[in-house]
Amino acid sequence: MSLWRLEWLRLVRTPRAIALCAVFGFFGLVEPFVTRYQQDLVRHLSHGARIQLPPATPADGLSSYVSDATFLGLVLVVVVAAAALCFDSRPGLATFLRTRAGSVRELVLPRFALSAAAAVVAYLLGTLGAWYETAVLIGSLPASGMLGGMLCGAVYLVFAVAVTALAAAMVRSVIGTIGVALAILVALPIAGAPRDVGRWLPSALADAPVSLVNGTDQLPHFGPALAVSAVATVAILAVATVRLRSREI
Amino acid sequence: MTGPLVTTSGLTRDYGGTGVFGVDLAVPGGVIYGLVGPNGAGKTTLLSLLTGLRRPDSGTISISVGRHRLAYCPDVSEFDGWLTATEVVGLALSLAGGRKRGGTACGDALASAGLADAADRQVGGFSRGMTARLGLACALVADPELLILDEPAAALDPAGRAELLGTVAGMRGSRTVIFSSHILADVQRVADQVGILREGRLLYQGSTQDLIDTYLTPCWLVRIAGDAAGFAASAARQSWVTAAEPAAGGVIRIEAASLEAGERGIPALVASCGARLAAMEPASADLESAFLALTGVAG
Repeated sequence: MSLWRLEWLRLVRTPRAIALCAVFGFFGLVEPFVTRYQQDLVRHLSHGARIQLPPATPADGLSSYVSDATFLGLVLVVVVAAAALCFDSRPGLATFLRTRAGSVRELVLPRFALSAAAAVVAYLLGTLGAWYETAVLIGSLPASGMLGGMLCGAVYLVFAVAVTALAAAMVRSVIGTIGVALAILVALPIAGAPRDVGRWLPSALADAPVSLVNGTDQLPHFGPALAVSAVATVAILAVATVRLRSREI
Repeated sequence: MTGPLVTTSGLTRDYGGTGVFGVDLAVPGGVIYGLVGPNGAGKTTLLSLLTGLRRPDSGTISISVGRHRLAYCPDVSEFDGWLTATEVVGLALSLAGGRKRGGTACGDALASAGLADAADRQVGGFSRGMTARLGLACALVADPELLILDEPAAALDPAGRAELLGTVAGMRGSRTVIFSSHILADVQRVADQVGILREGRLLYQGSTQDLIDTYLTPCWLVRIAGDAAGFAASAARQSWVTAAEPAAGGVIRIEAASLEAGERGIPALVASCGARLAAMEPASADLESAFLALTGVAG
């Protein structure tokens, strides 16, 4: 029983993996459907009032999915990651792990890696579902834009898990960690409101799939954000590990 | 018993008046060392410093075994509830770098902790006592050279406590055990060496029996053939007697100023009174009495 297997069991033996796949999968399958039939739904619910919506485009189908995935999906990813990374929230468990593991890095790395991997897999499954559903119901999406968007979304989720690790190194409780991590992730788009600044921030990657699919931007436009996210993820993990190492139980 | 396996020098961790202060610990190899003290005396802080969970403000710690040869069992063990007992112990073995001990190590450790029947159960459903036993199994699985137990019997029922103390006593000579407890009878039963902490300071360190001998009030229960009340009155007038009073069953309880004074004086006093000495035995000598004499507080 290694620490890597422990994290695998944490995902599959608790509802974590199922919850991630279910949420992203649900949005991936439902949002394009709702987008395709929103005119009919509005007509049915408007009790006779005439409301005319523009015809749904393939980009709209993906946009709806991305909107939900970057909000509710992100919250769930942070919750799942926090539950794994807050090993100091229970003193008895922290003592068991810390007095036996060779280093704090041994504890952090599997928890980060498997939480991030689970988030990315769930996100990709949801995105593939949205891609398929959109293609069937509304119209085809450009493959290059979709693949680029999936790359950007996945990198952003990995960054979000790293931010959660940092939050776990700042506060001990799971609830506190979730709050701090979400506050940081919400603050980033605000800080990046000016476009010249925003394109360098990881938060720019959250909406990248929509921009890439509707042609507003090309993948190189997100190069700075991808690079900053990759570097920041490594740096944040290093800082989190140092902070966790210096923490007393 | 060999040279010190664990030593500390001037170990201090100050939490604003509480903590540990200037502790010079010396734990010989192969002994069972009982760390006793009232609540808040600093026992858990001292053990946390030894295991590296906390850092000292000053002082040094020297432990002559590698990190993987040390196992610590906290007073409240916690584990991920969705793991089975075997998986938890397997994780402990793996983290201690003990994979090569073979496939029976986990089962043996669980059996020695009395959890063989619960090996495949998820630990989330364990009682507090079972969780404490699981903590002990995790500590034992890697065959540590130094085992540190913080209040190991606190969550156990009387039968479980007796079993645990038997297990600890059986480790004498094969590994070094440091265990803290506020149950002095437990410490007296198994500990060769004892350290007494009070308000963060080590008041006594040495052999358990020496502590009892040194700090116990010299006291005897004397039975004579003759006038017990008159003998008690005569004894009370002796300069070396600090207290003499009749007890139940014709026994006289005599406290002396020193061990020697009592052992020499009581037979002489019996003879001078013209009585015959039927019995003379020391009042029960236990660690609790010595602890109270040393600290002046309840444990």
